[in-house]
Order: sequence, then structure tokens, then C-alpha cells
Amino acid sequence: MIDCFWLPGLQEGDVTTWETRELGDVGIRWPVLRPEALRRVLAAIADARQGELARAPVADIVAAIDAAAARLADPADPLRATAEAALPPVTGYSPPMVRLVLDRMAADWRAPALERLLRAELGDPAVLDGFAPGSGAGARRLVRATGPQLAFHVFAGNVPGVAVTSIVRSLLLRSATLGKTTSGEPVLAPLFARALDSVAPGIAAALAVTCWPGGTVVLEDVALAAADAVVVYGGQEPLRQLGARARPGTRFLDHGPRYSFGVVGREALGRGSASAVAEAVARAVATFDQQGCVSPHVVYAEEGGEIDPPAFAGLVAGALAALEDELPRGRISGGDAAAIHQARGSAEFRAIAGAAVQVHAGPGTSFTVAYDADPAFAISCLNRFLWVKPVPELLQVVRHVSPYRAFLQTVAVAGAGERLQALASALGAAGATRITTFAAAPWPPAEWHHDGRGPLVELLRWTDLEAPPPD
Amino acid sequence: MALRPGDELRQELIALFAAGAGPGAELTEERFGALALRVFEHQFALNRPYGAYCRKRALTPATVDDWRRIPAVPTAAFKEVALVAGDASAARVVFRTSGTTRGMERRGAHHLLDPALYHASLLAAFEACVLPDGARPALLSLIPSPAEVPDSSLSHMAGVLLERLGIAGSGWFSRAGSLDHAGLATALRRHEREGTPACLLGTSFAFVHWLDALQAQGERFALPPGSRLMDTGGYKGRSRDVDPGEMRRAYAERLGIPASHQVNEYGMTELLSQYYDAALRDLVLDGPGEPRRKIGPPWLRALVTDPETLEPLPEGATGILRHVDLANLDSVLAVQTEDLGTDVGDGFLLLGRAPGATPRGCSIAADLLLGALRDSPP
Repeated sequence: MIDCFWLPGLQEGDVTTWETRELGDVGIRWPVLRPEALRRVLAAIADARQGELARAPVADIVAAIDAAAARLADPADPLRATAEAALPPVTGYSPPMVRLVLDRMAADWRAPALERLLRAELGDPAVLDGFAPGSGAGARRLVRATGPQLAFHVFAGNVPGVAVTSIVRSLLLRSATLGKTTSGEPVLAPLFARALDSVAPGIAAALAVTCWPGGTVVLEDVALAAADAVVVYGGQEPLRQLGARARPGTRFLDHGPRYSFGVVGREALGRGSASAVAEAVARAVATFDQQGCVSPHVVYAEEGGEIDPPAFAGLVAGALAALEDELPRGRISGGDAAAIHQARGSAEFRAIAGAAVQVHAGPGTSFTVAYDADPAFAISCLNRFLWVKPVPELLQVVRHVSPYRAFLQTVAVAGAGERLQALASALGAAGATRITTFAAAPWPPAEWHHDGRGPLVELLRWTDLEAPPPD
Repeated sequence: MALRPGDELRQELIALFAAGAGPGAELTEERFGALALRVFEHQFALNRPYGAYCRKRALTPATVDDWRRIPAVPTAAFKEVALVAGDASAARVVFRTSGTTRGMERRGAHHLLDPALYHASLLAAFEACVLPDGARPALLSLIPSPAEVPDSSLSHMAGVLLERLGIAGSGWFSRAGSLDHAGLATALRRHEREGTPACLLGTSFAFVHWLDALQAQGERFALPPGSRLMDTGGYKGRSRDVDPGEMRRAYAERLGIPASHQVNEYGMTELLSQYYDAALRDLVLDGPGEPRRKIGPPWLRALVTDPETLEPLPEGATGILRHVDLANLDSVLAVQTEDLGTDVGDGFLLLGRAPGATPRGCSIAADLLLGALRDSPP
């Protein structure tokens, strides 16, 4: 039985009921918390923060997180082994996908990535330890950055690692941190807490992680009453509800669902180059089985290259087929499978009715690439279902996606050549917050402006110490 | 008058349906299979998009000799093409799907060249499952009338039921999109007073709204024994989602209709025959009662299919439901749905219509994005 919780301050007798899940060989559990037990936990992590987290130099916090991440990155480590055993049955992702995601995500929690993040957001991380010139070199003031005292994070979905990244950011700001996971992925965040406890128990004592059903108002209200910052991942309705109930003055950072897509210009559609791009597109689609906010729903391919858009769709399908062994698609629900069959059938009947549509379907529901000459924006049913659509000129993509500006996130681009700057400007104006390559699309760097915002800066409070003017 | 293609088959089916779906009306596997293959041959010849779909799979009347292998069309296809075994412009009725949850999507269309088959089927199944005791209660419809919503198959069905089975006191209690609370209360009080049973017809979301209102007013009815109701459809975001158990308790508590007399219908625009809860029929005919499964008339059969391959699964399995409906003579008889079910031998358990209901990752799902776009300013 794997304990999917980390609750400092939880007392004997606080837990009378457990939520348990048996998934093949793996059992997971977490306590059914009562509000007073959660209150005790929150008090305990707030106290613990005063003890060590609030005083430690940021370099020490970085070192502690790095050492914890090293354990999750090490295939020989028992905590990593637990993650590898539990995540496939719990999340549905295949074991190779879980290993890939753990490797890539853990790298983001290592010291070099954290130092990049701190420098990118703060200029000089010393502003977290005391008054320093910060990034405003030349300004006649010193600044100090203070994080929230207690941050409440509400996670969503089943992409492993997203929760830990959010917790890591919170700890860097010296915030006591409560993370609420979902039953879709309750595993990794508590394992991270355990790893942290093994290397820096004083810091781990200021972190709490557990699971409860989303919308459990009695527990959410206890957490909202204690928190001065709330970070929420999820659908619009939970965002609205939590936002409305947070205390006045609470920092509220929301990450709603996002839409990402790809663009392939004719420079990348040469006979020699198109296969490599198709391979990168396939990997971007296959990673997280397309469930990441960074995963493309549709790829717009420019006409006029040596490989035309319909042929490019075929290449992507071939590349997805080739990935099946290395990175197999995970288990999906019957409803998700039904959605794929419906989308395939719908596309097939459009073709029968005379539309320029071609469906490339893998065995079962493993993958689908649907070429559709209608360039209108399309939403995928996900789980490796990609639309490929033509555009006569790259920049024309913008008008198809701009109605969705509030939801746009990552745009993966290949073959834009010298048009990249102009395309990026237009996409940025249309709402996109990240423009990258297909290879990098699934793996935003630690220092990315997540959904267009600095994840540290958004939570910080600045104190200015204005120096007397120099003589 | 010259016979149209399929007329002979149509007359045979109408006669079969008219004989009813009650006890003794069972269709043998052989007879159902033979009829299904004849309907398939008819549709393969006359329904051009469907014929093309079958030829692509090399599944044609020449190669298919088992009704389970008749190619099934996904419900989504009804949104893309006119699936008519004949001339779409000759259709006497066209039903359209509601499209309530996905505002931007095209609506599906189901063309009926001759509604007689539909009427015969729906009457037989309703009588067998909602009126298995031979009762003739007044039909009080919370469903809008066909005059108000002519392209709704559900309104059309309610229209046929009221016209053919509705005794005095039957009527429509939904007007211009809102429920006639006062009219309904008056009618139900009369039933209470006179001791005559009533049969309420409505969508689940209409019932939820109405029961919420009754609760808010502290009003309740004690309808006479023999009263019953037929509810249908999911909630589609149009009312709060309600657990079926809670719904059953509320029906009993607010209306005095026991669980045995609450008959849930499972139908869709793409199918001209309907399934119903076996509960009331079981009670009348001494059936097993449990589990609360869905049964249909003998000319409608469900197959539970493998979610990956869509191959039919053996009894007891859970998978995606496919329906084979002989009443769909004018369109396609085999329809692949998005609904999940478990085969229990003499029927199936409906597990709900929730494709991708729980977003798993952080990418936006189609419903969410379309819903958000509908709710947010342009």
C-alpha cells in the first residue's frame, strides 16, 4: 500500500477512514481528512516554516530540492522505483512514458534549472535573502522579495510532475505549502515530499500534500482561510468557485485548461527535411498521450513545399506508428476510446461526402492523424488524435486561432525560416504565450512564463528600500 | 401505385411491429438476423454514403452473413452526411439532434421517408415497457409538443403517444420553453381527487427543475396507484446533475410514484426504436426485477463492443454500445454510439453518456473549450 499523502502534524486518531484504490498489483491510499485535522496540519506547516524554511538562505533551499529531485531522477532509488511502479496503473500512462516524464520533469527540479528560474525571474536571487539591487541595477533603491506565508495549491489532471513543479516554486519562495492532488495522479507529490524529508526534514516539515475530491467545500474553506496565496490548476468552474471564496487580498494564480497547436512552414517540408519534422511532431503528440496543455491538437502545414500537407499527414502517421514500441499509448477509458471512434467516423464520412479528408488510423485507437483541407480551427479528442490542416501561407494561421486567444498557449513551429519573428509577433498578439520547436514543446524550461506569467514573480511581494541620493 | 424499393420489406416490418413487443412477441435469432441482413442489403443498395463506407471495409451483402458484422455508422456521421436509403429530398420527416452541449457543432439529421414504421415501433415498445399491465392512464407531457419543436424526435414521439394512447385529461404542460407549473398542479390534484392514475412524460432535466420547484414550495402529490412516469436523457448541463438514486427517491417522495413505476427511456435521434427500464415490465410479468437494465422491442438489439476494436464482446462484458434497429429502414440500421454499457443477457446496464467526461490532463477538452467560448464575450 502506497501512502499518497504527506501530512506533518497529523495525529494518531485524526484518521478513522481511508480512501483506498486497488489497481492491479498496486494499492494506494490517503486519509479522509476532517476539517479540524486539516487545521492542525496547516498550523504545523506554518510553525515549521518559522523554524527553518523562513530562515534558510535560498541557496540552501535550492540544494535541498536538488537533492530530493536527484532521488526521483535515480532509477536505482526506491522512491523512484515506487513512482515507476505506481504511476502506470494510477494514471494510465505506459511505463516507458512514465520513465520519460520522470526523467524530464526531475531535471527541472535540479539545481541548474532552479538557478536559471531564479535568475530569469528575479535577476539576482539574493533579493530573496535580503535587500539587494535586484534586476533594477542603476535604480536608486534596494529591493527584497517576500513570498507568501502559506500557499494552497490545487492540482488537476493526471500529468505527473506538474504538481511537484508547482510545489518547488512555492518552496523557493519560502512558503509553507499545502498541495491538493487529484485521484488521477496522487502519487508523485507525496513521494517528492518523502524525498525532501530524507535530505532536509526541516524544509519538508513545512510541506503538506494529500488528496480529496475536488469541490469538498469544508476542506477547501479551511485551506483558503489559512492561505495568503492560492495556485489553482483546473477547469473554469473550479477556478471561479475557489476565486470567489478566497480571502480578500489573497494572491490568486490560476492555470485553466489551455490549447496548443503546431505550425510547419514550407522550409521544413522538403523531401530531405520533412521526415525529421514529422518525427518531432509525432513525439510532441505522443508525449503525455497529448493530454498536456503543451500538446498540439492540430498542426497547420504550409502549402507549396516539396511535401504537400496531405503527404505530411501521412509522414506524421508513420512516425506515430514507429513510436508505438518506444513510447506506447497508455490505457484510456471506454468513453475516450468512443470519442476517437466517433471522430474518425465523422472524418471518414466527410471524405465520403467529397471533402478533402484522409484518415490515417493506427491499430485499435492507438493513434489517428486526420488530414482535413478545411483550415478552420479544430479541437482534438486527444489521446494521440492529431488534425493536420493546410494553410497557403504561414501567417494565415493567425486568423484561424485568434478567436481562441484566451486559451492559447504553446505554438510549436518548424520551417518558418526568416519569417519566425513576424510569425511569433502575430501569434503573440493572437494570445499565444510560448513559441518553440516541436522537440521542445512538451518540455517547457523551468524558467518559462507559464501561461504568460512569471510563476515566482506573480506570488511575490516586493519591499523597496529607497537609498538616499548619492552626493 | 408502383412499389418503391423496400416497400415489401417495409410492410413486413410494420406488420411485425404492429403485433406488439409484449410477451410472446420474441423474435428468434434466425428471424432477426434474416430481417437485418435484408435491411442491410436494401440500405447498401440505396444509401450511397453508407454503401461507400461498407465497400471500403469490404463488408457488403455478398460478404456479410451475420447481423453482428453489419457495418455500424458512428452517431457523429449523422452530422456530416444525409444517411438516407433513397432520396433525401423525399423525406417526410427530418429529425435533428439537439447539440446542446456543443454549441458550435453541426446538428445531426435523421431522414424518415415514411414515419409509419417509426410510429409502429415506438407505440409497441412504449406499451410493452411503460404500459405492460394494459393500463391506459392519462399522458401528461413535460416534453414540448411537436407543434413547438417539429424537428425533435422526442417531441414527435410524445405527439404520437398522446394522439394514439392519450385518453381524456392527457395534455401538454410545457409551453414556449417553460413548464406550466400551475396547469400541472391542477391536473395532478384532479388525479388525486378522482383516484385515476396519471403517466408523466419528460426529460430528466425538466423533471429535476420541476422537482426542485416543488421542494422549494413544499408541495407534494400522492398520485393514485398505477401512476407512472417516463423520463429520458441526460442532464446535458441544463440542470444540476442528479444521482439516479436521488432522482428515484424524489419521484417517490414528491409525486408518490414508486421506483417500480419510474421507467427511464434510452433513445436517440439516430434510432427510431427505444429502450426502456425493465422495472415495470418485470413487476407485471414476474421478471427478475434486478438489475435495473434496459430492454427494447425484439427488432432492436444492442451489442456491447470492445472499446479498442469495436468487435462485439461476449455476454457480461462492458464496452461501447452498438444498436441494430430494424425500424431504421430508411437510414442505417447499425449505429455505433458513444455510450458505455454492460451486457447482462436479457438487456444491458447503461453506464452513461459521458465521453471523456473527466478531463485527465491539462489540455482543454472540446466540450470545455466550446462551452467556455459560448459563455465568454467574443
